[in-house]
Amino acid sequence: MAEKVFLGFPRQSDRAGVRNHLLVLCINGLVAATAIQIGSSLSHCKVVATPYGRGQYGPDKECHFRQLVGVGASPNNGAVLVIGADRKSADDVAAAIAVVSHSPIEVLTLDDTHQDALELTARAIRKGATMIRELSRARREPVSVSQLYLGLECGQSDASSGLAANPLAGAVADRLVDAGATAVVGETLEWLGAEHALLHRCVSVEVGRKVVQVVAAREGAVTAAGVDLIGNNPGQENIAGGLSTIEEKSLGAVAKTGTRPIVDMLDFGQRPGPAGLYLMDGPSFSPESMTGFVASGTQLILFTTGPGNSYCSLLAPTIKIGANPASCAYLTEQLDFNGSNVLQGLQSLDEAADALFAAVIDFASGTLTLGEATGQGSECFTRIGASL
Amino acid sequence: MFHAYRSITLSSLQTKIGWDAVQIAPDDDVAVALRDLSGIVRVRCSDRIEKIALLELIPFGHKFAFSDLAAGQEVRKYGAPIGRLTRSVLAGQHVHVHNLKSQRAKIRGG
Repeated sequence: MAEKVFLGFPRQSDRAGVRNHLLVLCINGLVAATAIQIGSSLSHCKVVATPYGRGQYGPDKECHFRQLVGVGASPNNGAVLVIGADRKSADDVAAAIAVVSHSPIEVLTLDDTHQDALELTARAIRKGATMIRELSRARREPVSVSQLYLGLECGQSDASSGLAANPLAGAVADRLVDAGATAVVGETLEWLGAEHALLHRCVSVEVGRKVVQVVAAREGAVTAAGVDLIGNNPGQENIAGGLSTIEEKSLGAVAKTGTRPIVDMLDFGQRPGPAGLYLMDGPSFSPESMTGFVASGTQLILFTTGPGNSYCSLLAPTIKIGANPASCAYLTEQLDFNGSNVLQGLQSLDEAADALFAAVIDFASGTLTLGEATGQGSECFTRIGASL
Repeated sequence: MFHAYRSITLSSLQTKIGWDAVQIAPDDDVAVALRDLSGIVRVRCSDRIEKIALLELIPFGHKFAFSDLAAGQEVRKYGAPIGRLTRSVLAGQHVHVHNLKSQRAKIRGG
């Protein structure tokens, strides 16, 4: 098996970072454009700017706050510059991030500048520049693989996903768990019809009960809304690729959970406990699902696709893998790993999984994914309710 | 657009292995095409190869019935049910959204 160490940026209170950027975290849509302007004037920074931030209430507000804090506390952030409209809500987010992360945090708001967005921009560029310069002093150090927390996602699946790409991702999840690391699989609706494949691996009856509960809740919501899943999930691209029903898609999708015990079910964006394999209750739309992973602390995401899918997380380098021979031949600047030999029976799953595990270590150590190299990446906050 | 380049690329691939399709689990009712298929094809079933005559073109990644199946019957893939047939299907026929329906998240009248 591949080596058990990667080169990362150790953190005092969390898993090591596989990247070390400044996060410009805009917590209020009123200044989102300002934050994007700030980010465009700085190098080595990432901008996450929620379009929301006011008029939310109840569980939706809590879920949004959890995402903001989780994204801010990502171990891949060496420092965070919080941009807000009002001082109080910005300080609340910063304080909650500081509970989880020891990375330096600064806060700037419109309140500080008498509502002058241009003045806010100027101050943030000055502040950000000094933070980035300080970040650049950090050097990578050997870190145990056990500090890795990997998200497993699939998007635009076809039959090659269930046959080879997802089993390959699952085999890597097994290797990570065996090395003492942590992995998470989301997209609740894509366990529908495959619950039996997950249930017998849950560490307790209680965890199994949660799996059945969350799937039933989403199935109930779909039924109540009178939505025909065909065309939605499986989507049109899934159907073109040969998938006929949600059960079929699910059975292929859960292959990326591998074979190890399921430790617990996480709420959307919730941080995991002890090392091992987790499930996360969340939406099936990849951008939202992946932001949930990032908010829960994943440093890297393995993303399998059939015909191709260029979407990447902004903060967690997203390793794209495919097994459809045509897509792998065609998308040489999108897919980071070619699993088509597994589909064609020319390479064993174990051999390919060893190679993919080594690639994960390599990307964790600083090699850019193709998505990073092409400047792809964003974060997409999920909503579970309407604004006031 | 995707179909166009896929067909061109796949037609240039040599058959390096001894089968054209796979039956994933031993009790599956369908096999999955590993390339665009027509005519008599070889299906890998566990540790043996079986020949089957396709009754229509089966695109890469799509399924065909491995034996004659009755309307209303559950169809198995990955060793588990993936839906129920809305009409009968002969061995070698395409099994997809036109004749297979999910048994979950059913809407009224659906």
